[in-house]
Amino acid sequence: MTRRTMAVAFGLGLGLLTLGAAGACRGGGSAAPDGALTVAMMPKNKGNPYFVSCRQGAEEAAQQLGVKLLWDGPTETDPAKQNDVVEAWITRGVQAIAVSVENREAMSTVLRKARGKGIKVVTWDADADPDARDAFVNQATPAGIADVLLGHAARLSGPAGGEIGIITGSLTAANQNTWIAEMRKLLPTKYPTLTIVDIRPSDDDRKKAFDETQTLLRVHPKVKVIMAIASPAVPGAAEAVKQSGRKDVGVTGLGLPNASKPYLLDGVLDSAVLWNTKDLGYLTVQVATALAKGTPIVGTTQFPGGRLGQLEVRGDNVILGTPFTFTKANVGGFDF
Amino acid sequence: MNRPLWVALAWAALLALVAVVAPAFFDPVNLRDLIVRASPLLIVACGMTIVILARQIDISVGSQFAICGVVAGLLAREGLPMPLVAAGTMLAGAALGAINGVLVARLGLPAIVVTLATLVAWREGLRFATEGVWVQDLPATFQWFGLGQDIGRWLIGIGAAAVWASIAFVLGWTPAGRAVYATGSDAEVARLLGVRPPLVIAGSFIVMGALTGLAALLSAVQFIDVQANAGIGLELSVIAAVVVGGTSVSGGRGSLTGTLAGVALLATVGPALTFLGAPAAWERALQGAIILIAVSAEGFSRVRRVKEQHA
Amino acid sequence: MTRARLATPELVLLVLLVGELVWFSLAATNFLTLDNGLEIVRASAEVGLLALALTPVILTGGIDLSCGALLGLSAVVFGAIWRDAGQPIAVAAAAALGVGLLGGAVNAWMVAGFGRPALIVTLGTASLFRGLAEGLTGGAVNYSGFPASFLHLGQGRVLGLPTQAWVLIAAAALIAVLVHAATIGRALRAIGYAPEGARFAGIPVGRRLALVYLLSGGAAGVAGLVYAARLGQARADAGTGFELSAITAVVLGGTSIFGGRGSVWGTMLGLVALGVLANGLRLADQPAELAGVLTGILLVVAIGVGARRGRA
Repeated sequence: MTRRTMAVAFGLGLGLLTLGAAGACRGGGSAAPDGALTVAMMPKNKGNPYFVSCRQGAEEAAQQLGVKLLWDGPTETDPAKQNDVVEAWITRGVQAIAVSVENREAMSTVLRKARGKGIKVVTWDADADPDARDAFVNQATPAGIADVLLGHAARLSGPAGGEIGIITGSLTAANQNTWIAEMRKLLPTKYPTLTIVDIRPSDDDRKKAFDETQTLLRVHPKVKVIMAIASPAVPGAAEAVKQSGRKDVGVTGLGLPNASKPYLLDGVLDSAVLWNTKDLGYLTVQVATALAKGTPIVGTTQFPGGRLGQLEVRGDNVILGTPFTFTKANVGGFDF
Repeated sequence: MNRPLWVALAWAALLALVAVVAPAFFDPVNLRDLIVRASPLLIVACGMTIVILARQIDISVGSQFAICGVVAGLLAREGLPMPLVAAGTMLAGAALGAINGVLVARLGLPAIVVTLATLVAWREGLRFATEGVWVQDLPATFQWFGLGQDIGRWLIGIGAAAVWASIAFVLGWTPAGRAVYATGSDAEVARLLGVRPPLVIAGSFIVMGALTGLAALLSAVQFIDVQANAGIGLELSVIAAVVVGGTSVSGGRGSLTGTLAGVALLATVGPALTFLGAPAAWERALQGAIILIAVSAEGFSRVRRVKEQHA
Repeated sequence: MTRARLATPELVLLVLLVGELVWFSLAATNFLTLDNGLEIVRASAEVGLLALALTPVILTGGIDLSCGALLGLSAVVFGAIWRDAGQPIAVAAAAALGVGLLGGAVNAWMVAGFGRPALIVTLGTASLFRGLAEGLTGGAVNYSGFPASFLHLGQGRVLGLPTQAWVLIAAAALIAVLVHAATIGRALRAIGYAPEGARFAGIPVGRRLALVYLLSGGAAGVAGLVYAARLGQARADAGTGFELSAITAVVLGGTSIFGGRGSVWGTMLGLVALGVLANGLRLADQPAELAGVLTGILLVVAIGVGARRGRA
């Protein structure tokens, strides 16, 4: 057999093997009857556990409503790729597009184009320009999130206050940067005893969050609270504090209940702030489908969100609720 | 002046600066943490040294690392005892390395292109298979092999030292090691001397894979669950450490002493900069500068320059 | 004279490309339309510019892993000069190009001047350039709100084609002349094939190498501008991973990674094949990861089939 033939055979065999193995490990997607509406939904980053849990809710709603759900997006937080995916959906022709926007300006351009072609556009988790979408499914305002986080930090550091070390996602992450900016605004007025002593990036990698927290604890030995504001960072930071044996350091942050549960239960992690990400995904598909069917959002005050009941509508924002704090006491009741 | 020495001096200079500005760096607990952190990196770097000495390269180690970590978690979740988990993980790594090895050695395809292809295919394939879900609900024997964090840390540090020492021995004092150097210097001459370059090359990729598996395991057991997507960018850190340490990308020249110096320097830079108060946003630029300085500071002998020019 | 007919790797790629087109026209929705084709071009332009400039670099047996990072740095400098320094767009654009050339000069200085291995030099400069972009912006700053006249470069059309397509065509023509028609092209191949021989044959190796790395830097600068115009924003992480896509396109196109052999036509084919693959899979409702897996397989098959007995 010539080398060429071997190469081709090897390559193809390897390819089929990879796809077969990978396909076997995967769960199934949602099937929908032909002629059904297609809702295309995009997270910021498919690999992040936060978005993985949003997807579960989205699939649930798609099944309930009988719509076809396309779930795709960049595999890492690549600014350019989100645009390419939406362009493809416009070409393919879908009835509604729901995007968690990583790049506001870049996405707004292409979302306006989608609206121009009659596709309904919904943003969720992170917004685009108001004229680029029909509705925004808002889980909580950045100011609200910042306030809740600082509230926990204040409680953990006690009446004397103290130093906070923040572990963020990546340095370029828009949501995290917005929350940090909001926190800085609140500090002098509402939380004067707290200071942010350092902000370290985790690049959404648990190990990096662990390493940075370890170092932070040594560089700033007086730090009272570690605040991890990216969901892969919470278990990393908590593990680092646990291994250091520093019982005087409190840990809080934005995290998923399943990943946070072990640390909440053994007391290292005090609280994890979030919202029900499954519900967020669920509601987004509900809103997108309603819009695609012609039901308007603007002008109403309430939106029927399926199993979520009636939800408040403020202008063009559908509000999921307020940030929720997972604690040792309540985390057992959640599974995502 | 030889490269490992220069790197060690640079490292010493950095440490001296830190000793003056932020002596807290030298707290024994901090040093211990640094060693544990650097251990998986050192193990992968040992494998990479062999591969680069053989005049090849492997930029897919990050993806191998990710897959092996997930394999370790899955095996542990199935209830296998940890020694078997370790064996299985290293086997998985060796299998991945074998794929690279066959494509490069048997089919004669360029290593950088093959490992670029496997880098992309494996990482995306892993994402496709796991859908981003971490491997959780592992038995209690997973973290630190069930031995607690003190013994666990010792195990990791000693493991890395043992790997380094054995590979150093093999490279420096055994026919297998000489075969690697020979293949990397001049494959034709090596063949004439009785060495079988394809075997050496395939072997180096397989060893690289097995070591990556080991490193992935030692990294994973520091936690209670396994990320779906570890090791992003690992290949760059490892290659930088090996090449900064003096191993030449044109093959046949270098040593594990250099790799140790390279790993020490690059693993220290990040934390040292944090202690020195450098803002996080400037860390990558400083690391790049250090790599460039290390690479340019060498004797400008014409022969060496010409030889390395088109690696 | 450099060959004008298709060599085996390009032929294989052409067959693969036709196969992709046939497959996707059946499996994907609205794939085989003019609009979609133009969108593929629009999305591939930045990587295309990098790949084109990378072709002569790889021809000499070198590599440039820093072009994606340099794209990001150029884009950020563009944004900073325009917004923070309040300069007109033209000045900001010139600054971006200048940064690209400067970055290329750093690579050229270390590879051509000092003779350090291109792999590790550009690995270092990749970290340096990306790091500078992150440091200057603190990671957080995102320049946007560019005037519509600038955005036209990335989002508009000229004579029916996306504006950046014309930039790509111009770049392709320039690089093609360099690589195939000019004597410099033969010099580059000679350097890649036998560096010592080339030196003894009187070729000014240092100057030629410096030229190709400078060109690569310049291309990164232009690509940075196109990126900022297409997306309407410039952030420190712009262009992450682009160098790997560019290298994939070049190698897919039949250029040997060892140097000495390759063509611009092959690079363009490789670029199109990759763009079509990603686009087609998306339109066929396949997840993004599949594109990555198939790209890897495509690469192995393409070079396996086109491989010759070279240095192993």
